Amino acid sequence: MAFEFKLPDVGEGLSEGEIIQWHIREGEAVHADQKMVDVLTDKATVEISSPKAGTILKILADPGQVVRVGEPIVVIGQKGESFSAQGNNPIPSSASAGRGTASVARMVPASEVQGGVLATPAVRNLAKELKVDLSRISGKGPQGRITEEDVRRVAAPAEASARRPEERIPVRGIRRRTAEKMAESWAKIPHVTHFEQADVTELVALREEQKGKAASEGVKLTYLPYILVATVKALKQFPHLNSSWDESENEIVLKRYYCLAVATATEHGLFTPVIKDCDRLGIFDLAKELDRLTQKAKKNQLELSEISGGTFTVTNVGPIGGVYATPIINYPEAAILGVLKIAQKPVVREGQVIIRDILNLVLSFDHRILDGAEAAEFMKTLVQSLENPRTLV
Amino acid sequence: MERLEVLDCEGRCDPALKPQLRPDQIREIYRLMVTSRRFDEKAFRLQRQGRLGTYAPISGQEASQVAPPYCLQKSDWMVPTYRSAGAYYTRGVPFKNILIYWGGDARGARVAPDQRDLFPTICIATQIPFAVGLAWGAKLKAQKEKKTSEVVLCYFGDGATSKADFHEGLNFAGVFRLPIIFVCENNQWAISLPRSRQTAAPTFSQRAFSYGMEGIQVDGNDVFAVHRATQAAVERARAGKGPTLVECETYRLGDHTTADDASRYRSAEEVARWQKLDPIVRLKKYMLQERLWSEAEETKLSSEADLVVEAAVEEAEAFAAPNPVSFFDHTFAELPWNVLEQRKALEEYLKEKDSRKDTVILDKEGRFP
Repeated sequence: MAFEFKLPDVGEGLSEGEIIQWHIREGEAVHADQKMVDVLTDKATVEISSPKAGTILKILADPGQVVRVGEPIVVIGQKGESFSAQGNNPIPSSASAGRGTASVARMVPASEVQGGVLATPAVRNLAKELKVDLSRISGKGPQGRITEEDVRRVAAPAEASARRPEERIPVRGIRRRTAEKMAESWAKIPHVTHFEQADVTELVALREEQKGKAASEGVKLTYLPYILVATVKALKQFPHLNSSWDESENEIVLKRYYCLAVATATEHGLFTPVIKDCDRLGIFDLAKELDRLTQKAKKNQLELSEISGGTFTVTNVGPIGGVYATPIINYPEAAILGVLKIAQKPVVREGQVIIRDILNLVLSFDHRILDGAEAAEFMKTLVQSLENPRTLV
Repeated sequence: MERLEVLDCEGRCDPALKPQLRPDQIREIYRLMVTSRRFDEKAFRLQRQGRLGTYAPISGQEASQVAPPYCLQKSDWMVPTYRSAGAYYTRGVPFKNILIYWGGDARGARVAPDQRDLFPTICIATQIPFAVGLAWGAKLKAQKEKKTSEVVLCYFGDGATSKADFHEGLNFAGVFRLPIIFVCENNQWAISLPRSRQTAAPTFSQRAFSYGMEGIQVDGNDVFAVHRATQAAVERARAGKGPTLVECETYRLGDHTTADDASRYRSAEEVARWQKLDPIVRLKKYMLQERLWSEAEETKLSSEADLVVEAAVEEAEAFAAPNPVSFFDHTFAELPWNVLEQRKALEEYLKEKDSRKDTVILDKEGRFP
């Protein structure tokens, strides 16, 4: 008798998992406990084996697909047996649930609940606002509970979306983590962004001077290492910028170490590899480390230890263009420095308009931790260092 | 601090410390270790198949799971942790019970009248005061009846030593010279917290000194060392010479539980290093060298172990789910009025459902509706 194997709660209280890889193919025989599929959950990648011997009749979820706990992912039965696979069913009835997943909540089937539907008061309220009849929706939440998403989907003017060409892309992997991280930062931190300009004509000359020597040592020298050194110098004077807000203790944690994360855009997504203990590295060391981490990021090979433990982030917005930007802080850090493109601009010096190399810098900071005056002082210090680059080497 | 090692990882035995075990006992210990591991691997897969709620694996710790309870008599007590499948099995508790318990049914942990093994304790270290109380009771009873005392074997992990219960329990046991053996299974990780962050002391066993009791560290992946140290501790306890703290230095090869991913906090190299010290492999090498064992016997044991495990799974899955009302049975001797009200409401609800025949409620023990 064919049966649908439903994604179990392989952690404690999981709601969904992403199919990573199938180890079996349709039509193949499986024995009990044979490895079937790898599933990525909130907590781990787990290997699920077959509960029974039989033949794989149908695989119902492709790699990359996010499946809710309780949804069927594979049909197992006898070779040649006919079956009716539903796929993407709502949560299965209690009769098919294993003893491990039995729960008191299941004692209340959706049909029995007051008003005939399961929904939280907030969702009921939303339905009222959007004039959605809850009894006409089948919920996709646990035990058929109607979620906010269910209501919104129904409420969206169906005819309009049917006519307009749209594409829906499931958000997952790095995009999803980036989204969560950004939303968390934006929700928790009151951001303020401060703008500055540095005259880096001398830095341009200095880098030109050192580029050859660097190349002979196999080092690709950009402006970024100089900016990192100047940043560390300024962070030491303004420790609030190199701190984080500990919400559980209501304390500001000043960090006496300087590990700068450098935002790196790759085809896989945005990474922030961390250069450990920048204050102990020279310009060339920094350039080497930057290059190493960037290469690893591009290959999507960064290890957890290489993207954690940062105290402050620098994002190089320069290469593509733009005049200013307002970066979002790399939560839970206190601030982020955005570096724009160096461009020749007319400036006024001693009453004369002359052409200089100008670098625009922006700093977004957590206004809970520090105030605008301190941020401005930090930026002034940073600018002074960059305008006198020989103090950095 | 004294450290005991008997068997090296090539299965060579220190001639001065030959095990005080008969060949049939060694084979029995090996059987218990192998079957426990087989069960462990099965339980983990069952959880992944949605057939078990959660599970805390013991793989890698079979020596410290099997040898200490092996030193006990049936009338002695064992107080385990939640990572105790091998210890329970050694005490004669069927795997079925362990599966029922981790399937979310407390009846799996019920202490049978002839059984002197406490239920698994999920809260870290809270079993230590229970064990000390049992040992005190055993001592008082023995004094009254002018008999030799039963002894108590109390398990905990490295993480438990940082809790107040540990201090209170060991201090009390020391002061009252109780017949208890504390076995600390130091498996190097308290979930993700490494041994190095658990204590600044070089060993856990040295804490015994501050409680005025005997203490010893043993190679916890060396079943003969664990056996020798525990056996000596049991004899001391029975002779009224007080408690002992035995630290078994071992390693959890698997995840903390099925809800954990150990690869996030420890390196593959570290695990590989400990895999070379596998207690089962080591004992097998010894037995083969001593001609206590053959590959033919190994094959037989392997299929027997599978049978034991598969039978336990079948029995556990056939065991009917509890009556929801039993939820109220085990916390209060007499239910307070508000809990009584809740119980009544649940009973009425179940009855009403039953009358409408949309679900089956059995009056005693049945499946969840």
